[in-house]
Amino acid sequence: MLRFLVNRLGQSIILLLIVTIITFFLINLAPGGPSSTMRMDATAEERQAMVENLGLDQPVLVRYVDWITNAVQGDLGVSFNTSEPVTQRILERLPYTIELTVFTIIISVLLGIFLGVLSAIKRGKAQDHVINFFSVIGLSVPAFWLGLMLILLFSINLGWLPSSGVGSRGGEFSLWGYVSHLILPVLILTTTVLPNIVRFTRSSMLEVISQNYIRTARAKGAKESIVLYVHALRNALIPIITIIGMLIPRLLSGAVITEAIFGWTGIGTLIIEAARGRDYPLVMGVTVVITVVVVVCNLLVDILYSRVDPRVKNV
Amino acid sequence: MKNNKWIVLFTLLMSIVLLAACSYGGGDETSTQGAEGEGEQAAEGEPQSGGSVSIPIVADPTFNPWHPNAYAESNVVNRVLFSGLTQTGEDLEPIPDLATEWETSEDELEWTFHLRDDVLWHDGEQFTAEDVAFTFNEIVLNETLGANNTSYFQMLQEVQVVDDYTVKFIMDSPVAALPAYLSFNTEIIPQHIFEGQDPWDLTSFNKENPVGTGAFKLKSYTSGQSVVLERNDDFYGDIALLDEVEYKVLADANTHVAQLLSGELSIFALDDLSAIDRIESAENVTVEARETPRFFWIIANQEVEKYQDVRVRQAILHSIDRQNIIDTVLKGYGTIADAGIAPALADYYTDDVTRYEYDPERAKELLAEAGWEDTDGDGIVDKDGEPFTIDFEIGIQGDLEAVSQMVQQYLLSTGFDVNLNAMEWNSMIQDVVVNRDYEMSLNWWRYPADPDLSAYMHSNSVAGNNIPAYQNPELDALLEAGAQTSDIEERKEIYIEAQKFMSEELPYIFLWYPQEAQVRVNSLQGVPDLAFGDALHHIHKWYIEE
Repeated sequence: MLRFLVNRLGQSIILLLIVTIITFFLINLAPGGPSSTMRMDATAEERQAMVENLGLDQPVLVRYVDWITNAVQGDLGVSFNTSEPVTQRILERLPYTIELTVFTIIISVLLGIFLGVLSAIKRGKAQDHVINFFSVIGLSVPAFWLGLMLILLFSINLGWLPSSGVGSRGGEFSLWGYVSHLILPVLILTTTVLPNIVRFTRSSMLEVISQNYIRTARAKGAKESIVLYVHALRNALIPIITIIGMLIPRLLSGAVITEAIFGWTGIGTLIIEAARGRDYPLVMGVTVVITVVVVVCNLLVDILYSRVDPRVKNV
Repeated sequence: MKNNKWIVLFTLLMSIVLLAACSYGGGDETSTQGAEGEGEQAAEGEPQSGGSVSIPIVADPTFNPWHPNAYAESNVVNRVLFSGLTQTGEDLEPIPDLATEWETSEDELEWTFHLRDDVLWHDGEQFTAEDVAFTFNEIVLNETLGANNTSYFQMLQEVQVVDDYTVKFIMDSPVAALPAYLSFNTEIIPQHIFEGQDPWDLTSFNKENPVGTGAFKLKSYTSGQSVVLERNDDFYGDIALLDEVEYKVLADANTHVAQLLSGELSIFALDDLSAIDRIESAENVTVEARETPRFFWIIANQEVEKYQDVRVRQAILHSIDRQNIIDTVLKGYGTIADAGIAPALADYYTDDVTRYEYDPERAKELLAEAGWEDTDGDGIVDKDGEPFTIDFEIGIQGDLEAVSQMVQQYLLSTGFDVNLNAMEWNSMIQDVVVNRDYEMSLNWWRYPADPDLSAYMHSNSVAGNNIPAYQNPELDALLEAGAQTSDIEERKEIYIEAQKFMSEELPYIFLWYPQEAQVRVNSLQGVPDLAFGDALHHIHKWYIEE
């Protein structure tokens, strides 16, 4: 186990290094630097002064070496656009994205596994068709469209929910104020995540319940619920864990569109800001954090495998 | 069989739900707020104190008007937090703010500004002439800093402190527009905080705790969410009526419209006019067309030989049905322009200039005179065997792309072979503004409320914002004459002359003067008839009608 961890750590560091190199050179190659994000009527002199102030007159390679030297010491640099430390800006935003992710994942997993199992055991029946129908809708409706429609319905026409924002944090806490801002974004994210879990659970369950040991379990007179949730589901879990392991980093790296529509100040809106403003240090910082999240999630999934299925040994 | 019934039933049900969702996008229903909206009589009540307004901004602001990263979202906040020497009056003429009065010397090279002696910074310190001298001498004139808006002060030599409440602006050459420039994003910042500091790295001020002199001061700021300002009870002018001004950080323009209709936002200038019908039909919201000192243009790079012929530029303008573009894309919010001085500057504007009707036949004649004719019958004009190709590069923002596509079609039908390249905004800036590596582009200028357009078409500005690189001694002489006198009557004559010249020579291929579609909830009153940005100078008069 220890060797496995050391191995994976080594791989992760190399991966991280490659990601930073590619990102750094890509953003620097993109046409238009920070000085072109200035106002249209900024003069050539104003732009040149900015380039020099930000140290962008140095060669790209020199700048990368500087950046990586500081980064390994835990210093991700200072945001071009706000002069605030990049780490601070990310830490300010991360909790909001984590909040959305946690609620979305909890709801999607509980509901998704239940519906997936139901769909599998009622295969070909009405329930199965209905669940499938909604899954396809959820997968195919674009988040931005559904988001705007829900705002129109619940915020403008009915006036029940706020159309965007995270509510007044730091002020007086009100449970409704907190929950009401969460409902729409979590709903949108759930509609994109839930169908994945439902479909994976369904197909994985279908495969398992046709196995001999399930027939044996039924034959020995085990209750149907025990057969399903103890014998079958546990064995069907591995693919489900894989898909959840893939969904979590996707959500944590900021559901960009959902966050933008609902003015949710998480990592997703930070990415947009950084890219639009050609804020190189911020782009790099966010990239590093997201890469780390993906690596850690994959590692956790691998460890979970051996917990769920003792036959999988990560040694 | 039973199953099939279920499926049919559910598919039907879902279709109904989807249809219902779609019809909410349709836009003819009245909103809940609208139903209880005020009638006309309510609008005539007495101004009252209290309440707050919400204004959208697209990104986090920087609380420093001179900071190179202070864009539009910062301007609307800084205009309220800080004060300039002058401000834009209700007729767009500069009126007193921190300065009570000003005069120029005989040769117009020295401007004396008399300052108020009753102004306190938000931290309680006294405002003096030293703050003004510091802002200009140490920030604006320090070239290594590359501060915003320094192009207006290229003729400024230095600012001298005469006494605690008098300053002198010493100019290299006369700039009659100086009082107008001093009202346009050129607010004064406190010396006692910035002295000895790097003004761009002072995050404690620029991002956290700004100290201004304006009618409102900072109450709270949460990155990515909102900026809340509260009334400054020590303000030197009329104390504001509103308790608070909230700026909400909302990147998405659709969200702005949604929040306006749900009553969560109070006022802003609508950029994307595609939602205008929906807003106009809402009962709780008013839309007003406001004149602004802006003009839309096409530029044809004067470094490229074929565009140096004025007949080619005129042919381009005759090819485009501008009224049609205004009616369709701009939803009528604009006036055809054949010169650069907008109707917003009512004192100087004239429509008695050379007009360019939509006339493709005339365009073809002009091209033929210039030697461009379709000799091989492929629909594209040519000269010496070379077809007239145009590389048309634009940045994607607002309605620029929609407009450019129409322009492309019009030019194609006249016989230009136009390749439209709509690119990401920053890339366009790099090509067109920084490298000047382009043939034709389309965009717009917004300028201070003064007719001096030297920055955009004087030959001295070729390295600056004279992006088409148009150079003509006659126009230079007119622009210089206008800059050198403060006498309004004299300036009027000069600028009417200049407009006639512009319309004949087309240094820019002028398109239209856009109007701002200002949207506002009905409960917000006291907003003067000005463009949104200028109305912010008068925010102390705004009030909420219950």
